Amino acid sequence: MSTPTTFWRLAGMSYTQYVTRAATALRNGLKEPAKTQAMRNEALSYNSATWAGGKAGSKKPVQVLSEAGL
Amino acid sequence: TDQKFFTMMQNTILRRAAAPLLRRTFSSAPEAAASGMTLNFSLPSETIYAGAKVSQVIVPGAAGEYGVTADHVPVVAQLQAGVLQIMHEGSNEAEKYFVAGGFSITHPNSVTDISCPEAVKIDDIDSAAVSSAFEAAKSAFAAAEAGSADQALAQIDMEVNKAMGSAVGLSL
Repeated sequence: MSTPTTFWRLAGMSYTQYVTRAATALRNGLKEPAKTQAMRNEALSYNSATWAGGKAGSKKPVQVLSEAGL
Repeated sequence: TDQKFFTMMQNTILRRAAAPLLRRTFSSAPEAAASGMTLNFSLPSETIYAGAKVSQVIVPGAAGEYGVTADHVPVVAQLQAGVLQIMHEGSNEAEKYFVAGGFSITHPNSVTDISCPEAVKIDDIDSAAVSSAFEAAKSAFAAAEAGSADQALAQIDMEVNKAMGSAVGLSL
């Protein structure tokens, strides 16, 4: 990877983490009823599955991406 | 020399036959401008516009705000938190959305694809919530260790809230 230049890269964040945080900040600054509606889009969950020999292993829910080895 | 003449004739005929095909590959500028620009604007949760014919879009690029009309040079731009303005055909008033970030890609055929994680109408922004969130983020930024993840998160919050504030007329 080339030298990171943005503050979020330097702090170890990926673009997805950066933009998701920005979306969260946006949703927190809304009036009702827009806020409740937007908060529904806030929920994020991850499942991790390890592939071996062309087949996916069983999925397990993962709280943080680092648990999945990412 | 007969052979040469015959070859020359053949080449001329082939060239003349190819010419109309070659002419068709040039686009005529008036035709392209008349067709206008097409906007595809979507979020993960919904598609706001698909194939909409608009006259202009003003995009909050991370490297600066810019406007896109028909025949704009192709560009890929990362967006910053800011206001996206859509000028519909036959209207002077822009339709505004506040976007959190994302990407805008303008193609050579005057189609612009804008993809954002979240977009809201300016009217849905709560000024009081934005001011207090900005102040909280500012303190968190000052309190955090330089270059840490916490400081980066606080900086993101500050930038987004500041942009939201300016969208509703606050100067934070």
